[in-house]
Amino acid sequence: MQELEAPAKNPELKELVVEASRALARLDTPRLEELALSCEALNRDLDSMDAGEKSDLARQAREAAPDMAVLGRVLAVTRANQNVMRRLREMRERRLEYSERRIRGAEDAEAANGDD
Amino acid sequence: MGTINSALSVMTGALDADQEALNVVANNVANANTKGYTEETPNWKENAPIAVGGVLIGDGVTETGATSERDRVLEARLDQQQEMASASSTRLTALNNMQALFTPDSGSSSASAGDIGSDITSFFDSFSSLESDPTDNALREQVLSSASTLAGDISSAASSLNGQSAAIDQETTGVVSQVNSLTGAIAQLNLAIESASPNTDAGTLEDQRQQDLSQLSQLVGINQVTTENNGLSVTTTSGQLLVSEGQNFQLTTGTVNGVTDFFLGGTDITSQLASGGGQLGGYLTARDVDIPGAVSSLDQLANSISTTVNARNNAGTDLNGVTGTPANPLYIFNEPAQLAGSAAAMSVIMTDPSQVAAAGAGNGTGDNSNAVAMAGLANGLIVNGQTPINYYSNFVSTLGSTVSEVQTENTAQNASVTQLQTQNNALSSVNLNDEAAAMSTLENSYQAASQVFTILNTVMASALNLGQETAVA
Repeated sequence: MQELEAPAKNPELKELVVEASRALARLDTPRLEELALSCEALNRDLDSMDAGEKSDLARQAREAAPDMAVLGRVLAVTRANQNVMRRLREMRERRLEYSERRIRGAEDAEAANGDD
Repeated sequence: MGTINSALSVMTGALDADQEALNVVANNVANANTKGYTEETPNWKENAPIAVGGVLIGDGVTETGATSERDRVLEARLDQQQEMASASSTRLTALNNMQALFTPDSGSSSASAGDIGSDITSFFDSFSSLESDPTDNALREQVLSSASTLAGDISSAASSLNGQSAAIDQETTGVVSQVNSLTGAIAQLNLAIESASPNTDAGTLEDQRQQDLSQLSQLVGINQVTTENNGLSVTTTSGQLLVSEGQNFQLTTGTVNGVTDFFLGGTDITSQLASGGGQLGGYLTARDVDIPGAVSSLDQLANSISTTVNARNNAGTDLNGVTGTPANPLYIFNEPAQLAGSAAAMSVIMTDPSQVAAAGAGNGTGDNSNAVAMAGLANGLIVNGQTPINYYSNFVSTLGSTVSEVQTENTAQNASVTQLQTQNNALSSVNLNDEAAAMSTLENSYQAASQVFTILNTVMASALNLGQETAVA
């Protein structure tokens, strides 16, 4: 099976995207939140970049495009998994409700029969 | 710019498409839920109420039944994702081997395919060189030499692809043996479970059966159907029965049109297995779709170049003043009898350089008009409405896109498997709080990742626009 690449020490946009996919695969919420903050900072810095930095970022964006596609797919399967887990939770809750109804049914039966 | 816009478009499309897939999954799970719920009900009824002196005490719920049921559904989802990951992984390996054939600097042991793109250019360039001195023997030899390199590389690539197909074919028979062994074991475990523990979790026996199912799902796409008394039926994803409680149905093999086909009860189910997932699905997709597609493209290239160049040379006059006739054609390449097999059979049959017809018919041997015409074929739309080099470039590009798509799917499926394993582990000791925490982790991670994705999307779009402005300035 293909594994996601290890992150670089001084990541470019591509590495940042790959790291997001890795963190999502591991369900590493704190790491994802750090990455979200980094991305917000990067977004804020866009306007203050000089021409050379803008050009370099454009290159990084082009290089990161395939990895964004991967992140998109990992997000999609995560949503599918999330849905499965929600269904399981619903199933479990319905089971508990059902069980309670059965218990209430038993109580009703007891009441109807009375104490002999 | 087009590349990133396309990628972003693909992402959006993938997310939309997944909503449909997600709904299907949800329905499947809901159905599984209903079935299991009915079967497990007696456990709940027996265990729930604890009556002391006519009063029911406690919440009246034991979680054992729910745990068992929940695990089965989660494990089924995990199996499903593993079978998809296994299929894409197997297919990806085959595609990478194919791609290496057409990547000259890949260092692949299959480098015998050479650089067909350069070969095409060199071949037609050799006619351009001949134009300057159509009687020069060295330039004529160069034409035949470059033709030989081109034919050899195309033929070698086709042979290598056919070899890869044969190797995959061999692998599939091994997979089928494993499938039959596992379905036999699952049938036996079904009998043991139904006998020993028809109404409750069978513990170790169920663990063993789950392990076998997990292995089976990595080999072939399956559906699992819970039956009475804790039994289990297993079908292929297209519905052919592999295990019915204590009985298993063996897959058999037979040779059809030179390749191994797979049968169940006398019915050929090869195409269903190919689309069903698992290792077998990956192998069969590579063997029956990817490789034949590549061979077919090479056949088209070889056939078009051979027939067009032969026809043009045959219409000219060679250095001996001879023009080709139906009885004695002046062919450079082996003339293909049919499209299929053209690439593997491509070779140079002309041995005498003086037979290269550089002159136009009736123009004398010093003329170069036919050499000019042959050089011009490089820009002619002679291969399915495309120039030879464009046709080949598009073929390589399409192959690369397929590799990239399968790579993306494989990475995503592996990530999904990792997530499900994490969830499975988190829920191994079940109570409602643990379950809620596990759900919360999944939801928070998803939300945070969605935020990362959205911001990155904005950053990348802005970055590309900024890059554009810089380039314009």
